[in-house]
Amino acid sequence: MTVDDTATFDPYMTAIIHNRIQGIVREMTNTLLRAARSTVINTARDFSCSICTADNQLLAVGEGLPIHIFGSGLLTEAMGKFHAESLAEGDCFLHNDPYNGNSHAADHAFLTPVFVDGEHLFTAVAKAHQADIGNSVPTTYMATAQDQYQEGALIFPAVRIQSKYETNQDIVRMCEARIRAPRQWYGDFLAGIGATRIAERRLKELCAKYGVETIKRFIKDWLNYSENRMINAIRELPEASLHNNGAHDPIADVLPDGIEINIKINVKPEDATIELDLLDNADNMPCGLNVSEACVVSACFAGVFNVLDPSIPRNSGSIRRLRISLRDGSICGRPKFPHSCSVATTNVSDRLVNMTHSAFAQLGEGHGLAEGGVGMGAGGGVISGYDTRGAETPYINQLIVAGAGGPGAPSADGWPTWALPVNAGLMYRDSIEVEEFKHPMLFDYLRIVPGSAGAGKFRGSPATELSYGPTAGDMEVHWPCDGTVHAPKGILGGLDGCTARHFRLLQSGKAEELPNVVAVTLGVGERVSGYSTSGGGYGDPKERDPKKVLKDVLEGYETVERAKEVYGVAFTGDVAGETLAIDKGATAALRT
Amino acid sequence: MAYAISVDTGGTFTDVVISKNHNLIAIGKSLTTKERIFSGVKDAILNASGNAGVDIAEIFNETDRIIYGTTHATNAIVTRNTAKTAFLTTKGFPDILLLKEGGKLSAHDFSNDYSAPYIPRINTFEVDERIMFDGAIHRPLDKTNALCLVEEIKRRNFEAVAVCLLWSISNPVHELLFGELLQEHAPNIAVSLSHQLNPVMREYRRASATAIDASLKPLMQKHLRSLEEDLNNVGFDGELYVSTVAGGCNNVSSLIEQPIYMIGSGPAMAPIAGSAFATEEGTKTDLIVCDTGGTTFDVGLVRDGNLTFTRETWLGPKYSGDLLGISAVDVRSVGAGGGSIAWLDDAGLMHVGPQSAGSNPGPACYNQGGEKPTVTDAAVVLGYIDPNYFLGSRMKLNSEAAFAAIQTLADELGVGVQDTAWQILRFASDFMMRAISDITINEGLDPRESTIVAGGGAAGLNIMMIAEELNCSKVILPRVASVLSASGMQFSNIVAEQSASLPTVSSNFSYEKVNTVLAELIDRVERLGTGSRKDRDGTVIELTVEARYESQVWELDTPFTSSIFDGQSSVATLVEAFHKVHERVFAVRDETSDVEFINWKAKLVVPSGINAEQNPEKRDPRSATTDQHRSCFFGLEKEISTPIYRATELLPGHVVSGPAIIEAETTTVVVFPKMSAEVTMSGNFSLLSDNGETK
Repeated sequence: MTVDDTATFDPYMTAIIHNRIQGIVREMTNTLLRAARSTVINTARDFSCSICTADNQLLAVGEGLPIHIFGSGLLTEAMGKFHAESLAEGDCFLHNDPYNGNSHAADHAFLTPVFVDGEHLFTAVAKAHQADIGNSVPTTYMATAQDQYQEGALIFPAVRIQSKYETNQDIVRMCEARIRAPRQWYGDFLAGIGATRIAERRLKELCAKYGVETIKRFIKDWLNYSENRMINAIRELPEASLHNNGAHDPIADVLPDGIEINIKINVKPEDATIELDLLDNADNMPCGLNVSEACVVSACFAGVFNVLDPSIPRNSGSIRRLRISLRDGSICGRPKFPHSCSVATTNVSDRLVNMTHSAFAQLGEGHGLAEGGVGMGAGGGVISGYDTRGAETPYINQLIVAGAGGPGAPSADGWPTWALPVNAGLMYRDSIEVEEFKHPMLFDYLRIVPGSAGAGKFRGSPATELSYGPTAGDMEVHWPCDGTVHAPKGILGGLDGCTARHFRLLQSGKAEELPNVVAVTLGVGERVSGYSTSGGGYGDPKERDPKKVLKDVLEGYETVERAKEVYGVAFTGDVAGETLAIDKGATAALRT
Repeated sequence: MAYAISVDTGGTFTDVVISKNHNLIAIGKSLTTKERIFSGVKDAILNASGNAGVDIAEIFNETDRIIYGTTHATNAIVTRNTAKTAFLTTKGFPDILLLKEGGKLSAHDFSNDYSAPYIPRINTFEVDERIMFDGAIHRPLDKTNALCLVEEIKRRNFEAVAVCLLWSISNPVHELLFGELLQEHAPNIAVSLSHQLNPVMREYRRASATAIDASLKPLMQKHLRSLEEDLNNVGFDGELYVSTVAGGCNNVSSLIEQPIYMIGSGPAMAPIAGSAFATEEGTKTDLIVCDTGGTTFDVGLVRDGNLTFTRETWLGPKYSGDLLGISAVDVRSVGAGGGSIAWLDDAGLMHVGPQSAGSNPGPACYNQGGEKPTVTDAAVVLGYIDPNYFLGSRMKLNSEAAFAAIQTLADELGVGVQDTAWQILRFASDFMMRAISDITINEGLDPRESTIVAGGGAAGLNIMMIAEELNCSKVILPRVASVLSASGMQFSNIVAEQSASLPTVSSNFSYEKVNTVLAELIDRVERLGTGSRKDRDGTVIELTVEARYESQVWELDTPFTSSIFDGQSSVATLVEAFHKVHERVFAVRDETSDVEFINWKAKLVVPSGINAEQNPEKRDPRSATTDQHRSCFFGLEKEISTPIYRATELLPGHVVSGPAIIEAETTTVVVFPKMSAEVTMSGNFSLLSDNGETK
């Protein structure tokens, strides 16, 4: 059973046009990265570009972040809903409304409908995480927000910001009157629009070259082809009904019991479908952790894609084979207004990605992944204040310098640059020097924590610890770190990752342990420090190749003690003398 | 003035180009001899001297200048045969080389381990010190701690040390101090200091460059000194230069100091060659210079007569490889060539590559056991390559095997064997075309108004197809297309570059500091150039600043001329130069924004003395004739009886109208229908897509 398996599919022309469109998304991405002003966009690449069709099919996503891209069709759907009658060439819309298909308010999406000979054929989408969106407190992740009113973001439900290629300056002034560091915001705004305009120009050239009919044919063929890739992949899997549960940590005051999360997954190779059932989950809660529809869908789909052939295209064709059931008013379903979705793209979504991809390990060795590290801690904190090193200027930005460790996989260890399940290591890291240059701050250390990884036949990545504080003027720091209570789980005998811990170091030198959701103001001389979680392990650590354990010890990822106790590998010699070697006899004894 | 010899030693072959009084007179080739590099070099020179009909002893005695390029440094890194190197960094930051700048190519791919840092963590040392962004000393270097580390480095027999401390670019005092301690206590260990080698902000880029550089020092010193000695022993007493990725060449001692510049120096020479041949042809447009190898397709640019540079050259894959970090000639390489394999995936979509049959087993037609359909097999099926005249008959191809291989794919596609071959060639061309698009877009260069200069043995097969897709109407295929890098060296200038990091902003310009830095840089490059002859005319110092709008973090190279800033108008001129560059690359300028200037660069350029000049001879176009014909397929209804020309029988002025095939010893040129090729007065091929007159 394959879709539209007819003689009309052109293996050659379909590939050629697809490659051209990927080139267009690459050009959009490059434009946004290079021209943007905030480091969260121009250094960390917390943005995604994609191209949708006029009927809201996701067509191409380039290197977009998993949590951003699968919901692109929902964004353009909202644009159609509000503006179908008046949609015109030269329009551009700003959309950040989580109740109308966006991920969370901090992601500003720019939507440019692309017309060819008067016909709306595509919509170019550039979605970028902003440094600030005018929230009531200086953070773009407000875990404690009771509702959207307390969160306080400016909301744009697919609002027309350009008409006939002219920007509506009223809206620019509205934003400048509310968003912190407005010049930085305006630079990012221009870069976002610019990326979609580049796509518009290139898509028109593409249609001129091949003709609109060929392009329409391509859209159909490409989506069908992608669906066929997914069909083939699902048919390789055994039929199974998988259940997984997990939890987000409790948060003092707003979420005393945490959030329990359940997912049921039916793998149906005969129908070539995978059903994802999230109906059995709690109601929306008065905090910022409610997940938007776009994020639930993206997180669960990302989890599925994590366990399949990575070359399957990510678009509306392949995801036709994924059926998701959501409940209205659920914390991971379709949220009910005005519950806040301020932190929708990370915390609960991170858990959803993990629970989805690790559920597949229930199919046996070779399937699924361990849970990856979660928790946006100090290394992903939103910092703000006034830079008094020169003329006093306000600053606000999210740091992306250190994240959680990646999950053990069926044939590879976790990556230290994983950061979070929702972005899977795609984001870039800020440079310490760039951060210290741009903000009045100093880092004390940033390094791997030895012996912190979730052990396994294939281990998770260890955690990364860091410490920093302001050098001139007070600095406000916010982060909503999950994983201080519930560690990322290992699977198939693999061990759990470590939990996250953070501290505030007072001027007196005294260290106070911080809660998981942090809002502190640091004076000069004070610091925050700590680490978020490491990745869970995959498979029994006692089955890990002893040579890999030796290498881990030499490289300082593991300790000699843990090698013996956890991995059952004993050594002769020592690290300092460069004589460390596997003691085969003792290792065999430890492993029986 | 007599001979100049350029030598390009690759992993397999050594190419030599000899010129006499500025005219290229001979090409030579031999196998590279890794155990003693000079043997292969000598063989290649012997081969070339034979071709030129001159005695090799005479050539050695009368050669003024040898320009040497090698992949030795790159190979040493690929095979991890570099020195045992220690990485020394600021206490608290041992994982700069491990964590890099993040990023991953394929979001959902969990099949590979994370790549190891260039220098293992076990060889990483942290020294207690800390400097702040403005150069202020936050924690002075702990000398006792530093001495302990020096002793440890000695005890563990390290051969090289890479020193990269945070903010050494703002205040190098700690790096210098550690360097002095090493010099004092371990004088035989090679050292690279990051603020001297690559003074840019962003610790990973600086550290990576420094680590790579230090790890190459012992090896490349030995390599270059022994070559120098061997050359002296055969009577060569001219100047020996080494080609660099900075887009020129420099003397041996400066490369021993900074061997990182030898990485990728071969491909960096291609745009220089392209520029020279375009000048011969009187071309004034921007250039896209392509070099087609068996497995890779390289693209570089010449914009407004200048090479383009990037700090983002990766050794190995993007993100997971190691970043070169230095400002290097921007040459993009994609995996595509004659060996690329065509296949259909499980849902029936066509792909060409990234798998390659390489040279062993090679394409099916090589008859070495390869069965999969490749681009070269497609060219055989299309009739473009004569199986009996491949590489000037040096290798006989099996055309039945090519047909059989393509037929397997044709059966899957359900189209004819020739149509399949046509699609494979077009597919590969499309991939190469996109590689060109990516680099031209990045540089804001319009392919439609540019000229392609194509080199490499396989270039002639499909370069016209690529040009047509780009709407680029003119292609130059140099007569020495197969040795583009070695010919580029002949024209390369002596280039020495120094840079310094000094962030300043247009609204509060640090006049004094900038002027001091520029004076220092100019002094430093002049000293680097003193190994070369000072009396050459036309020596210039080119100044560039890497600049950006306020709050941006990616800089653009902005050239300027004044080495002294003395007031608002001088800064305004610089700001305007930046606006222009930003507008060219991103199509917008932001007049309201301040401009931040970050890295200042001075480049000394001593002309080689060899300048390409437009050939003054008058064109005399006339049609070429031949009685040889072969059936070729060009994607039309059926195959066409196509005239076949031997390059050796074509003379300057001869015009060949498509469809036609021109066969040379080292390359085959396909002139597609409605296109034409002309042999220029300099003996190059000028290819036109409109079958018309040369513009």
